[in-house]
Amino acid sequence: MSGNLFPKEDAGIDDGRNIDLAIGTLSGEGASQLAHPKTQPRQGSKALWSRLPESSKADPTYYDWPMLKEPVWKWEIPLYYYLGGLAGTSLALAAAAQLNRSGGLEDLIGQCRWIGIAGVTAGGMCLIRDLGRPSLFLNMLRVFRPTSPMNMGAWILSGAGATTFTALALSRARGALGSAGECSGYLAGIFGMGLASYTGVLVGNSVIPVWQESRKVLPILFAASGVTSTASMLEILREDRPSRRVTYIFGLGGRIAELAAIKAMERQAGAVSRVARPLKKGKSGLIWRAATIVTGASLAMMLLPKQTRRKRVVSGILGTAGSLMMRYAINEAGTPSAQDPRASFYQQRGRLAAKETGTTE
Amino acid sequence: MAAGKGFFTDTTICIGCKACEVACKQWNQLPDDGFTFTGMSYDNTVHLGASTWRHVAFIERPVALSNQDAGDFSWLFSSDVCKHCARAGCLESCPTGAIIRTEFDTVYVQPDICNGCGYCVVNCPFGVIDRREDDGRAWKCTLCYDRLKEDMTPACAKACPTESIQFGDLDDLRQRARNRIDQLHEQGMSEAYLYGASKEDQPGTEGLNAFFLLLDKPEAYNLPPDPIVPTKTVKDAWKSMGLAVVGMAVTAIGSVLLAGNGARR
Repeated sequence: MSGNLFPKEDAGIDDGRNIDLAIGTLSGEGASQLAHPKTQPRQGSKALWSRLPESSKADPTYYDWPMLKEPVWKWEIPLYYYLGGLAGTSLALAAAAQLNRSGGLEDLIGQCRWIGIAGVTAGGMCLIRDLGRPSLFLNMLRVFRPTSPMNMGAWILSGAGATTFTALALSRARGALGSAGECSGYLAGIFGMGLASYTGVLVGNSVIPVWQESRKVLPILFAASGVTSTASMLEILREDRPSRRVTYIFGLGGRIAELAAIKAMERQAGAVSRVARPLKKGKSGLIWRAATIVTGASLAMMLLPKQTRRKRVVSGILGTAGSLMMRYAINEAGTPSAQDPRASFYQQRGRLAAKETGTTE
Repeated sequence: MAAGKGFFTDTTICIGCKACEVACKQWNQLPDDGFTFTGMSYDNTVHLGASTWRHVAFIERPVALSNQDAGDFSWLFSSDVCKHCARAGCLESCPTGAIIRTEFDTVYVQPDICNGCGYCVVNCPFGVIDRREDDGRAWKCTLCYDRLKEDMTPACAKACPTESIQFGDLDDLRQRARNRIDQLHEQGMSEAYLYGASKEDQPGTEGLNAFFLLLDKPEAYNLPPDPIVPTKTVKDAWKSMGLAVVGMAVTAIGSVLLAGNGARR
């Protein structure tokens, strides 16, 4: 997106500014804003003429026009949530497996670390691709700002990447270097747990009603989904015997926790029914329901008697699809939630009423 | 540090001329937004955005104002702008530190730092800041930072023909606003109230540096009735993250140990 989108000679006169650069200069606060002659600023995806506003005296809105701005995030961000969850949880599982020295889990540790480094790399690429100015990605690391979950996430991702790389590089080393590698593996596990769950805080730290209302459950849902993603990926990849036992228990726990968290999120967002609407209706509602069903199916697959390799692969694919869809659904739900001014108004009026009567939410 | 500066927008005397919108575009050299016909009163600007830093709202209501005798109708105008909140969601969520608080207590996006992550967009409780897709960065009202540095009045306030937009030191503006409310109430306009004038009025943002005098519910102006900066409620989410991390560690270690014990048996 960066760089010159159109020839410099078109700047000023043809970009909606009507400034002839032969006689005027571009020097105002907004002068550096690139404006392509053929594009307009975002107007939101809701057509202005889609329907008549339902405003009434008692329940006013401004022509039903959105009060909030729609999120700008497209497919890269939910994919990043998935990859971060997958990579982070894999690193955590690798670190846990490191604890059990006599378990014969060397293969599992190696697999998990490779999933970790691949997920961190691909996830980082998604994050960069999503930026309006990808070349300035490293500006994320010019400050340390605990109030911004996105800034914390940039540090967590960097930490996870660096420690995983070190652990992988030193995995065959002996002596002091070997211990350093071991140590890096544990550190990567800690960063990994952060990576898999901070994205829930990131989504919850927003004004989008459906996201904000679900903030308490989002980190748990994302972490649980991370466990499902890791177990599913390991099920799809070839497993040796000891790791199969680990993956089975891990995957069972992840899927049950994910389904429970999905239900908890529906309940939390549903505290104000208008707020939960995107989880029930429209495209986001459809993907959300499908995610629940697919995750449920993958759990059912695991509980069938006689676990064959084929059944394991199928439940792995279903688990992966469920996790991906759940994250897409949450990202997708942000748009209709931002478009509906009443979702914010009812949420806030409810909060004010609760404050007045002295009840907490 | 200079005293905090801000806007007091008295919507009772706004005449809907849109001189503020034009002055803002001209001074800041912002590109146009396209020429849409909305059919909703005189508002074809629709909302604030990356290239629109002032927006006049036109509210047609089937209710008369309390001191008017004009049948069941009133027409309200309000020039909306970035609120430069005391606790600014955009600033607190910005991961690059591109958004800063200036020496005038205003909130400013440094265009050379912003990398267009879009996080501020979902952190503004008023839906003000937006990313311009062809430019790639987030933009909003700067409260004419360039003019303030030269001790000049921001372009919109300068152009306002009725002084509906008043610029000045915040303490002074708040006093003027309170006086104006008293005056309006005396004149029988009992619905007049201040929106976001102080921390007490609006605890969620701890007060706005650009506050308003309104005549109807905030919702009618497309303003949130109880805006809250997300950082104020996010502690819950961080706590849940702690729980999630513990849960994940227990699950991972549990799986490894259970599987190991099973193998030995």
